[in-house]
Amino acid sequence: MLKRNVLFLLLAALPFAAHAGDTYTVDPLHTFAHFKISHLGFSTLHGRFDKTSGKITLDPKAKTGSMEITMETNSISTGYGKRDSDLESPDFFNAAEFPTMTYKATKFHFKGDKVASVDGELTLLGVTRPVKLTVTDMHCGINPMHKKYECGADAVAEVKRSEFGMKTYLPAIGDEVKLEFDIEAYKD
Amino acid sequence: MQALLQNPAVQAGLVPFVVALIVAELLQRVRLSGLALVLGFAAMVYLTHVFALGVLTAPRKIVVLGLAAPLFAILPAVFQGAWVRALLTALGAAAAVWMSLRILENQALARMLLWGAGGAAYTAWLVYWSSKLHNESVRAGAAGMALGVGTGVAAIFGASLTLGMFGAALGAAAGAYLLIHMLSNTYLPCGHVYTLPLALIAGLTGTLAAMSTELPWYALLPLAAIPPVALLIPIAGRPALWLQSLLLSAATLLFAGAAVFLTWRVAGAPPI
Repeated sequence: MLKRNVLFLLLAALPFAAHAGDTYTVDPLHTFAHFKISHLGFSTLHGRFDKTSGKITLDPKAKTGSMEITMETNSISTGYGKRDSDLESPDFFNAAEFPTMTYKATKFHFKGDKVASVDGELTLLGVTRPVKLTVTDMHCGINPMHKKYECGADAVAEVKRSEFGMKTYLPAIGDEVKLEFDIEAYKD
Repeated sequence: MQALLQNPAVQAGLVPFVVALIVAELLQRVRLSGLALVLGFAAMVYLTHVFALGVLTAPRKIVVLGLAAPLFAILPAVFQGAWVRALLTALGAAAAVWMSLRILENQALARMLLWGAGGAAYTAWLVYWSSKLHNESVRAGAAGMALGVGTGVAAIFGASLTLGMFGAALGAAAGAYLLIHMLSNTYLPCGHVYTLPLALIAGLTGTLAAMSTELPWYALLPLAAIPPVALLIPIAGRPALWLQSLLLSAATLLFAGAAVFLTWRVAGAPPI
């Protein structure tokens, strides 16, 4: 009786295992979150977060996926240390209080077998808001350097910083922030 | 007009100054001129939209505690005894820990204890010494101006406009309060409604700036000296209030300048 129950449970779990997809670990050396924002209306300021981590699951056949990417807010880099300190302060990313920001997604939209967009939520300064990522390029295959299977993608999104409570220097420094993610992730 | 009100110098300087000037004068008859300080600070908060419903971040906690501080000032008005000052001092220490709780949680144990104890000690020290100024309105005015200006400018050099504006608003409001003494040559009512918000907002702002910007912790030492200096510095012969104000301001602003200098040496000029 016990064997039959165990067998039944194993059989019942099979479809879920088949649809779980492959799991990938984000390569922090090739994954960056860039941002650009209007500086007083004169020019566009670019910056990025240097430290990222996360996991992605992907199942092109079932057209499902999920991702969780964490960016360390005190790894911000704009090419000028003093400005980076300012951006880490309570005026902007408040890195001492909120050392990370996280993007979580469970809804992937596919075009063919490639991801076209992702519906997810960005948590920044303790505030969680829906953010849609548009994937502009995606490629999966064996990395010729490491001989490991990996997937990479470029994606863009746009957020309003005021919606996350980041209001310093508004409107002089723009409210709209364009985000660009370059992601590479190795198959586990 | 809208553009003018969005200027940080107007929000944290001119408006708190004018509001404090009016409040200190209007509330003189009901002996609540001391409220000028916290209402000048409140005007800055209103204009900058620092406080909004949402996540209670450390700067927002400073706003909540600062605006609530006059309510706790009722305690020494109702109860007498040294225990009241001790209680307010302990509440100041607890406020510093609560304000920085999320930051402390992100630290390793040793740093968490060090930062927590340091912030609590700094705020408690300011609350203790400032409370001794509650019957010394000119000295309290000079201490408030120096503590506000020193904390604000050092925080701006340390790279936080928000915290800089907190300090600047205190300095501007205290400056207006002191100016009335100078012009009218009469003492204004002071009380704990003035000294408690001053110590709490300046203490918490300095603590947060040391924890989250480039303001070095030792820049808080000259700021901590301001209330005792304002209290203990002798002025012989009871000269006119404008002269007392100038002498006390010059002495206390020296310490504010030292805090700014120490921060500037570490952090350099603020980013523009």
